[in-house]
Amino acid sequence: MVGATELTPAIPLLPFAAFLVALLVGHFAPRLLPKGGAIPGIIATAGSLLLSLWTFLAVSGGGYHAQDIYTWVAGQSTFSLHFGVLVDPLSAMMLVIVSLVAVLVHVFSLGYMNDEGETGLPRYYAGLGLFTFSMLAFVVADNLLMAFMFFELVGLCSYLLIGFHFREAGPPSAAKKAFLVTRFGDYFFLIGVVGVLATFGTARFVAVGDGVQSFPHLAEQALAAAGGDGAMPEHVASFLDVVGMEPQTWFAVLGLLVLGGVVGKSAQFPLHTWLPDAMEGPTPVSALIHAATMVAAGVYLVARMYGFYALLPTVLAVIALVGGFTALFAATMGVVKDELKQVLAYSTISQYGYMMLGLGAGGYVAATFHLMTHAFFKALLFLGAGSVIIAMHHNEDMWDMGGLKEKMPVTYYTFLSGSLALAGIVPFAGFWSKDEVLYYAVNYGLGESPILLAAYAMGLLAVFFTGFYTFRMVFLTFHGEPRSDTARDPHGVRWNVKLPLVVLGVLAATAGLVNMTPVAKVTGLHIEFLHQWLVIPEGSEFAALGYDHYHHLLEAFAGYGAAGVGTLAPAAVSLALAFGGAGLAWVLYNVDSPTEHTEKLGGVKTVLYNNYYQDEYQVWLAEGVTLPLARAADTFDQGIVDGVVNGVSSVSLFAGSRLKRIQDGLVTHYAALLTLSLVVLLVAFGLLGGWF
Amino acid sequence: MAVAVEYYLLLSAAVFCTGVFGVLTRENALMFLISVELMLNAANINLVAFSHFYGNITGQVFSLFVMGLAAAEVAVGLGIVLVLYRNFDDVDVRNATTMRW
Repeated sequence: MVGATELTPAIPLLPFAAFLVALLVGHFAPRLLPKGGAIPGIIATAGSLLLSLWTFLAVSGGGYHAQDIYTWVAGQSTFSLHFGVLVDPLSAMMLVIVSLVAVLVHVFSLGYMNDEGETGLPRYYAGLGLFTFSMLAFVVADNLLMAFMFFELVGLCSYLLIGFHFREAGPPSAAKKAFLVTRFGDYFFLIGVVGVLATFGTARFVAVGDGVQSFPHLAEQALAAAGGDGAMPEHVASFLDVVGMEPQTWFAVLGLLVLGGVVGKSAQFPLHTWLPDAMEGPTPVSALIHAATMVAAGVYLVARMYGFYALLPTVLAVIALVGGFTALFAATMGVVKDELKQVLAYSTISQYGYMMLGLGAGGYVAATFHLMTHAFFKALLFLGAGSVIIAMHHNEDMWDMGGLKEKMPVTYYTFLSGSLALAGIVPFAGFWSKDEVLYYAVNYGLGESPILLAAYAMGLLAVFFTGFYTFRMVFLTFHGEPRSDTARDPHGVRWNVKLPLVVLGVLAATAGLVNMTPVAKVTGLHIEFLHQWLVIPEGSEFAALGYDHYHHLLEAFAGYGAAGVGTLAPAAVSLALAFGGAGLAWVLYNVDSPTEHTEKLGGVKTVLYNNYYQDEYQVWLAEGVTLPLARAADTFDQGIVDGVVNGVSSVSLFAGSRLKRIQDGLVTHYAALLTLSLVVLLVAFGLLGGWF
Repeated sequence: MAVAVEYYLLLSAAVFCTGVFGVLTRENALMFLISVELMLNAANINLVAFSHFYGNITGQVFSLFVMGLAAAEVAVGLGIVLVLYRNFDDVDVRNATTMRW
């Protein structure tokens, strides 16, 4: 009997097969490919979803699993590099999320791409398949190097899909931007991976089996040894001698380097600029990128190696501050956008900021929870936006919409469910998870780590803006009077659009119920299912990946101490702020013919419209700093380095051109030279040998 | 009464120098060949003289080989001279300077 664990590699490989089918059949025999590759894609991702659910069930029965699949570099008396799978509660949960969203996006694409008569569909579905494959393989990766490789592949797929409409002007440039900006972060990640391998001699996330070690555990031992407890691992000690740093400092450097990749992929400040531009891609792709794959990869990576980050208070503080700042920063920009997908793009950045804040504030469960709920409601919102865009004949400007509520009720009510979740209105999913993130920040902030309070304040303020922009978007799109002819007579959508919306709408409303911490605290019931799910019992080989272990590390190494704040008061504050934002939007925009209120912001409006001039300053960095630097380096290379090389060669060329003239073809001269040389040699030997 | 070996060496050196002088100064290819023969025979004189001096017959046998070699060399050399004449209508070595920089 084959168990779920043996079939884990098939979860990523099924979408890969769909990719190959779409690519090869689409190229050689396009007539044989049903629906331009959608059917193989749906079958493969549905298969992945079933296998993921099976794995999920196996894991809830304690069937954790780690296995080396293929060693591609076998080290002789040093470390080896391998591919392997790791199935623990975190990855099992993520597998279900990714494959579920992938199936729904494939189904939705039938409505968004096939029904709209797009061309190049095999290319599109091949991209989706490869994207799903790389993300699923990234999720099950059991070591940092493999994670890095699939992290990069995810980046490549986003490039291919964002630039799907490559004949237009915008998408190719957006695709390049997404690729380059995330690549900038990945560069640091790569150095971090090399650093981890060099320091610890392993990049595994967990040590299972004899003689196997994991780098978070080695780091824990090294830091304990530095604190006078136990022995420093030999390999780490010798490498720290090479580096000449304290373990605490050096590990923080490694943590920050890996974090560079996270900041790029999860679109955190200052590398968030690619994400709004990535809206140039087809809408289902945006849903896939923002909900479950590319952007989630960064946060997932931090959660994956949380055993390492939990040791480093400095890095945790950086993560929390970057997250809190990004949450607020992006939310303020979302307030003034006119295009549906742009608002959603900034909300994505903002929500991932919350996840980073949660991770930095020691709320591992909270951040994972938010990752899950956000995947559902953000996929829902993007697909809902896609549905609206179909209806509006690909016009995305919210000022041309209005009154779509009666015309497309399914889209409206599911979109509303997603919006309530995004704004954090009780009892929708986003409320529970966002609230838990903020609760951790304030609880530890008031306890031993006051710096978290700054991050908390920013996160809390962002709740207000989130409520505002979310409902501004809802009211402008669906309420009021139709403001254009297309909005008066929108294009209908079919079942393949409605089905994913309904599934996700239900999930967005209910997914939060799996971890109702405030309710659990008040009633004393044990209903924090996600919390229990992420705890791995002591004594299991996988206990180092469990929440209890992380909690212990946070207290022992990062000095996190809880203040014991009650759960109700922070929840009430953030709920009040969310209602405040939503209420303001209600007053301003829930009227028959809303007007633009952004003029009242004055100078702030210009700054917000221009996204705080982030793009401008990054372009300036590239053109004003990097380019002159590169030019100087080029001059040095062309002038000095090449000059030396060319100088040497020109000396020998010149000498050769003169010397060759003694070969004049006259035998007599050759003979004379021979004789003379012999005489000279004889005389020289004679003088040196002392014959005379 | 045997002549001392030094005289043979002096004779040999004189003949060799004559050969070298011939190679360096002559313009006629045939004179080159004759000069080279002189140098070879200077070596022969040495071989025979030392053979006699040490009472060992090997040197004299070797000089026979050198004569054989010289005959072969002249055959090749004359061939070259003929080709030279055919190509340049002359046997002056100064004309044949095509193989140069």
